[in-house]
Amino acid sequence: MNEATPAVQSERGERLHPLFLLTGLGKVIKGAWGIVAGGAYLAFQGRLGLALLLLVGFVVLSIASLLIRWLTFEYRLEDDQLRVEQGLLNRSSRSIPFDRVTDVDIEQGPVHRLFGLARVRMETGASATSKDAEGLLDTIALDRARAIRDFVRARRGRQPIPATAVETEEVDTPAPLFAMDLRRVLVAGVFNFSLAIIAALFGASQTIGEVIGFDPFSRSFWLGLLASAGPLRDYVLAHRFVAAIGGTLVLLAIGVGTGLVRTLLREYGFRLDRTGTGFRRRRGLLTLTDVTIPARRVQASILATGPVKRAFGWFVFKLQSLATDGGQGSHVVAPLARQDEAAAIQQSLDRPLLPDPGLWRPYPRGHFLSGAVLSGIGIAVALAASALLTPLALLAAAGLALAALVKWLEWRRSRYALDNDYLFLDRGWWRQRLAVVPVTRIQSLDIVENGWTRLFGFVRMRFGVPGGSMLSAFSIDALSRDDATALRERLVTP
Amino acid sequence: MTPAAVPDDLQPVERGYRHALMAQAAVFWLVVLVGAIVLDRFVLAGSWAAGLVPLIVAFFAFGGVVIGPGRIYRRLGYALDDRLIRIVRGWLFHVDTVVPFVRVQHIDVTRGPFDKLFGTASLIVHTAGTHNSVVTLPGLAPQRASAIRDLIRAQIRADSE
Repeated sequence: MNEATPAVQSERGERLHPLFLLTGLGKVIKGAWGIVAGGAYLAFQGRLGLALLLLVGFVVLSIASLLIRWLTFEYRLEDDQLRVEQGLLNRSSRSIPFDRVTDVDIEQGPVHRLFGLARVRMETGASATSKDAEGLLDTIALDRARAIRDFVRARRGRQPIPATAVETEEVDTPAPLFAMDLRRVLVAGVFNFSLAIIAALFGASQTIGEVIGFDPFSRSFWLGLLASAGPLRDYVLAHRFVAAIGGTLVLLAIGVGTGLVRTLLREYGFRLDRTGTGFRRRRGLLTLTDVTIPARRVQASILATGPVKRAFGWFVFKLQSLATDGGQGSHVVAPLARQDEAAAIQQSLDRPLLPDPGLWRPYPRGHFLSGAVLSGIGIAVALAASALLTPLALLAAAGLALAALVKWLEWRRSRYALDNDYLFLDRGWWRQRLAVVPVTRIQSLDIVENGWTRLFGFVRMRFGVPGGSMLSAFSIDALSRDDATALRERLVTP
Repeated sequence: MTPAAVPDDLQPVERGYRHALMAQAAVFWLVVLVGAIVLDRFVLAGSWAAGLVPLIVAFFAFGGVVIGPGRIYRRLGYALDDRLIRIVRGWLFHVDTVVPFVRVQHIDVTRGPFDKLFGTASLIVHTAGTHNSVVTLPGLAPQRASAIRDLIRAQIRADSE
């Protein structure tokens, strides 16, 4: 290894392999379906000349763009970093420290294999959502790619976190950390009833129900169904509202049933084990899934619930990890659990689930006021409109009043705490989420305010945490500016 | 008491950044203005709204080219110490970002056409966060941007040892 490394380091910037012009072509063609379709259309119209012109123009342009990309792309392997310079008009110079590289991938497409080339990709764990690939050397000689990989692996300051730390320990711990019996799965299914499906069915029955013969809100539906049962039939005939109630019940049953079936299929036989390096989760009725979650990759824990679930004392417990779980930002490690069960899972990570109760800080009153004032203005406008234009505006006023009420409930429930090395963010009323974020996992801090919140004297604080989806941002939605700066001081102090 | 953990001696960025912003805004608004004039001449000619659209566009263009860039420039500041970078921007939408160097994954220095004209560059810091994982500091002198990059890189190196 040691005698190989000096040769690997670049003296000057290197270009990609000239055959990039060939390997890059595939991507260009893939992105040109519009051109192909246009050409085909023109050819069918009998205007071959124009089609040819389009084709030639496209080929020339794409080759020119590839050539420019090749000419302007330069990479340099330095002692401790990879430098990539690219772009003609927008010149960008990227620096990837090897200490941040978690893995070096070598990929080969068909053309690459034909000519002994490879595509090298350095993974740094920076947001996987960002479009531009982080350390991508599209086409270089395979030997060179291997040399670079070995070089980077040797140079890396510390041991990487293995991308797939799958140490499938066949010997299970005697008792699972968390498991769900059939009854618990069914209860989870009931809570999982899908409003979306009900809404979709309602829409469908109202629009195309007549055609497909399924409209539980129409009297004829029930009359046909109850044709044999005399007295009930007369009752439906006499009372219009019965059809409406019946329809609602049918849709509710379908919604609950769908939730039950979906949950049963997914969560059946749920079992979570603590292995030496992390968690192992098995679940599923028809499709069994077996997922390993390395403990070192767990970023934050989320205890989620809703007003109804909380009334029955149920919670969903999730771990946000660098890896994603089938499109979802975080791994559900307990679909329906009591708080102490979630605490036990969290405990196995040596992390607390709740802070010292005295450390909770409420959101300032301005958070509620800022929403209430907006609603108040809206209500005033709606009331004026209802007096002048149409009584329907009263509905809008009622909706706004409801919004203000929800805002108040949210404000009353939302709070945050910093206890030693853990930040606790509790917020929401309809979607209650308690997030436990280790301070060391916070990547960046924003203090945000705008013209409106400034009037009410509060700011918002956002935290960049790896993993998860864009929707699940971690934030304190309202706190005073002084508190925010003080909290930030404490968070960045090592 | 330890010294403030977050530096508060905000420095302005290069003056050229204001001019770069102006040039950028001028190009944008020129296109919009031409569009508005074409619309006015060919569609709205003779109607009651004749001449109104270009007037409105010109009003906003004036704001966007003459007033806006100066304000953006004045509200943009950054501060560094040996552990973190802080970037403060905006007033109506005010954002105050802090990124510890040890959390940085990789760093870009980019220069667009307007940057080249006015001698500025942007420093782009990538962190591992999903939310807000790309933090941009525009309007730096190119040497300054490179210097900051090297500073951050040195910190990453020190952190991992």
